[in-house]
Amino acid sequence: MPRTFAKIIMTGLLSAMGSLSWAEIVVVASQESPVRELTAVQLTDIYLGRLTRLPGGPAVLPLDQVEHSSAHREFYQQYLGRTPAQIRSHWSRLIFTGRGQPPKAVSSDAAMAEALKRNPNAIGYMDSETLPEGLRVIDVES
Amino acid sequence: MTALISRVRAKVSGKKLHRLAEAPFLMSALALIGLGVIWASTFHLTGELTQNVSRSTAAVTSDVADTYEAQVVRALREIDQTLKLVRYDAQRQPPDSAIVDLNERDLLPPSLLFSVAVLSAEGEILAAHGRFSLDQPQEHEFFRHALRSNQLTLSRPIETEEGPLLYFARGMTQGQTSNVVALAVHAGYFVSGYDSATLGERGVLGLVGEDNQFRVRRTGDAITVGASLGDVGSKVAEVDTPSLAPLIQHHWDQTERYTVVRKLFDFPLSIVVGLSHAEQLAPARATARDYYWRAALASALLLIIVGVLGRLSWRLHKARRQAMEERIQHARKVEYLAFHDSLTDLPNRAYFSRTLTQSILEARRYTRKFALLFLDLDRFKNINDSLGHDAGDELLQEIAYRLTLSVRDSDVVARLGGDEFVVLLPEVLDSLQVAPVAHKILAACAKPFTLAGQEFRITVSIGITLFPRDGNDEQTLMKNADMAMYHAKEQGKNNFQFYSEALNNDSLERLTLESSLRHALERHEFRLYYQPKRNMKTDQVTGVEALLRWQHPELGMILPMQFIPLAEENGLIVPIGRWVFRTACQQSVEWQAQGMPPMNMAINLSARQFIDEHLLDDIKLALKETGMNPTLLEVEITESMVMRDVEATLKILKELKDMGVRVAIDDFGTGYSSLSTLKQFPVDTIKIDASFIHDLTRSVEDRGLTEAIIAVGRNLSLNVIAEGVETSEQYEFLRGQACDEFQGFYGNEALPAEDFSRLITQITRDASGPPPR
Repeated sequence: MPRTFAKIIMTGLLSAMGSLSWAEIVVVASQESPVRELTAVQLTDIYLGRLTRLPGGPAVLPLDQVEHSSAHREFYQQYLGRTPAQIRSHWSRLIFTGRGQPPKAVSSDAAMAEALKRNPNAIGYMDSETLPEGLRVIDVES
Repeated sequence: MTALISRVRAKVSGKKLHRLAEAPFLMSALALIGLGVIWASTFHLTGELTQNVSRSTAAVTSDVADTYEAQVVRALREIDQTLKLVRYDAQRQPPDSAIVDLNERDLLPPSLLFSVAVLSAEGEILAAHGRFSLDQPQEHEFFRHALRSNQLTLSRPIETEEGPLLYFARGMTQGQTSNVVALAVHAGYFVSGYDSATLGERGVLGLVGEDNQFRVRRTGDAITVGASLGDVGSKVAEVDTPSLAPLIQHHWDQTERYTVVRKLFDFPLSIVVGLSHAEQLAPARATARDYYWRAALASALLLIIVGVLGRLSWRLHKARRQAMEERIQHARKVEYLAFHDSLTDLPNRAYFSRTLTQSILEARRYTRKFALLFLDLDRFKNINDSLGHDAGDELLQEIAYRLTLSVRDSDVVARLGGDEFVVLLPEVLDSLQVAPVAHKILAACAKPFTLAGQEFRITVSIGITLFPRDGNDEQTLMKNADMAMYHAKEQGKNNFQFYSEALNNDSLERLTLESSLRHALERHEFRLYYQPKRNMKTDQVTGVEALLRWQHPELGMILPMQFIPLAEENGLIVPIGRWVFRTACQQSVEWQAQGMPPMNMAINLSARQFIDEHLLDDIKLALKETGMNPTLLEVEITESMVMRDVEATLKILKELKDMGVRVAIDDFGTGYSSLSTLKQFPVDTIKIDASFIHDLTRSVEDRGLTEAIIAVGRNLSLNVIAEGVETSEQYEFLRGQACDEFQGFYGNEALPAEDFSRLITQITRDASGPPPR
């Protein structure tokens, strides 16, 4: 019995650590952004260029971080479940066949914050610890 | 009937032939045709299918090539455009600010795939967008080469940490300094348009430089760089059907593909597009396999159906044939029954009639003679009546068997019905040849038979006619043979007689007699004569024997022996006998009414009368109607009649005795009755046959027999009467032997009724006077 109990505690700890690790990257937007929350599907569609306008809402412009940043890697891994190679392959096909352009990439969280503040329709992602004033975290429902 | 059979047979054999053509062959032909149609259409369909797929795959390859070409050219132009743009901007401001400027204005391609840099002539990076590094010696070599060229320069694929890269570069000369604007892109970019939906997993998309080396090549998800195109390009060039891509074996992966290799306009590159033959055809092949399965299934089904139908048809055929066989069997049986006598298996009258007609026709044609033997069993009726029909039938079968054995196989023996048989001897020369055969038949039939456990002898009478002497047609021959046979019967039976004209005349007389006999009763032509019987001792008339005479209007007086056999044959004896009883009884009553003493009245019974079932009733009726005293009536029956059926006789005699009627045995001594048998019978009188009396004085034997008969009669307390006493010697002898009564010329002859009453009157008168002798 005590052993089972210990197991339960261990499992709880591990899951807390897991949620902590992916809670580092958050989806953010300007305070003026009308977007409050997104579903995981919507977010995926937006970042893969399939969705440019929320249903009955405003146009959404996704902003990316450069490919070699850890934010880029973690964002796609955690929110879209894809590797950077897969993302590059995806955009490579769209660009080559002339059907789309990838989100504009910034090289840091600060640049991201700047860009988001400039454009209330844009959404982006960054480390939650570097979240500055004037930006808001958007809830992503899984 | 034979015609019917042959017709049925013809029908069967005809149908048989027809069926042979019908059932198995037609079925097989149907099956073959069905299989042919199924497989021909299947092969045609699948052939068409694969051909269509091949053609459409080739066409798709061309389409894909068109699209790919356009995409590659656009991508290259964009790249070149970028190089030119950067070069232009970098000539007006320092390279790094130019890059930043362009990036901010969104004029640079996405850094995700592309990196752009401005390099110094020494290979230093002056400014860069995206990750741009120069780590490989090939990279430096390329840029040195690009520096010297004023054109767009394209590198070979260079392996880096990022994977294989392709570099594009343009030289940039600004005053004294020469720089290079370069763009790096993943080699995979140029094949990222690979669409599994059209190219499958085994298709090919690729770019080939002028050195015939692949800059990049993709099959499925696998991207390779640097391999040689080999002879694929030249092979494609050999084929001059631009709209349809040719099928070419790709040496690098041993795959056959519909291939397009096309040189790009303006760029030192060719595109390579290929669709795998095997892969693209796979669905069609699956469909074709499906078709083959269905065809196989349909074939199996067809074979099963044909098999079942064939089996059914065969069964039907068999059943029909069986039915036909049965019909033939039946027809044969019917024919046999129609032409054969079921009892003896001999040909019957109908069959014989045909044979005879045929024989007549043939004999006429070849002027031949043949003989016809007409046989009738003697006294067959008695056997049938006394032993029963089964025994009679058995006898007929045995006779048939013996007849068949007695003649040659070529002779025909037939049974006409009843106890009548006929034998046809074809091809005889004269009557001398026939007689031995007739003898043989007589001998064969005369051998004893064992019927119902008793041994019997039977004889036949045979009448013979010869064709053409005794008749020229069937009817005459048969009629004359019949007549000859009757003659044989008249001649004492158990013999054969040839037909002759004289016979025919006799027969005519007989016919006349027979026809007038039929009318004799109604015309009152019969008379009764009365022969007195006298007592030996007292010479008194004790009674009379009524004797029948026929007063024929033309032939005069006819004696019984001349017409009684005839009357027996046609049955007239029964009504005649009835008349005799009635008349005699009437006479007896009348005489007594006239005052005469009561006298015995003896009446003869014929054999036929004796077995008539109405005999006793007839006698009773006569007695009742006339009122005669039964004790005065005496019935005379012959010894042979008594012995024929002892039990039946005994029964009749007992009934007669019960009625009070006396019984006499006539012609005693001619039969073979044993004393013990005689003792059983309730007999009153025995009459010694006239033949014994006739030779009484000459034959010692007859005298002895007569003595013995009288002694027997006396011992049995019977009244003994001698018949036919004609002389005084006979009379004296009988008187000496103490015979009771006598009759005959010595006494009185048979007299008509009036003469007899006169005689009695006279005797009565004389009795009062002196005695007569």
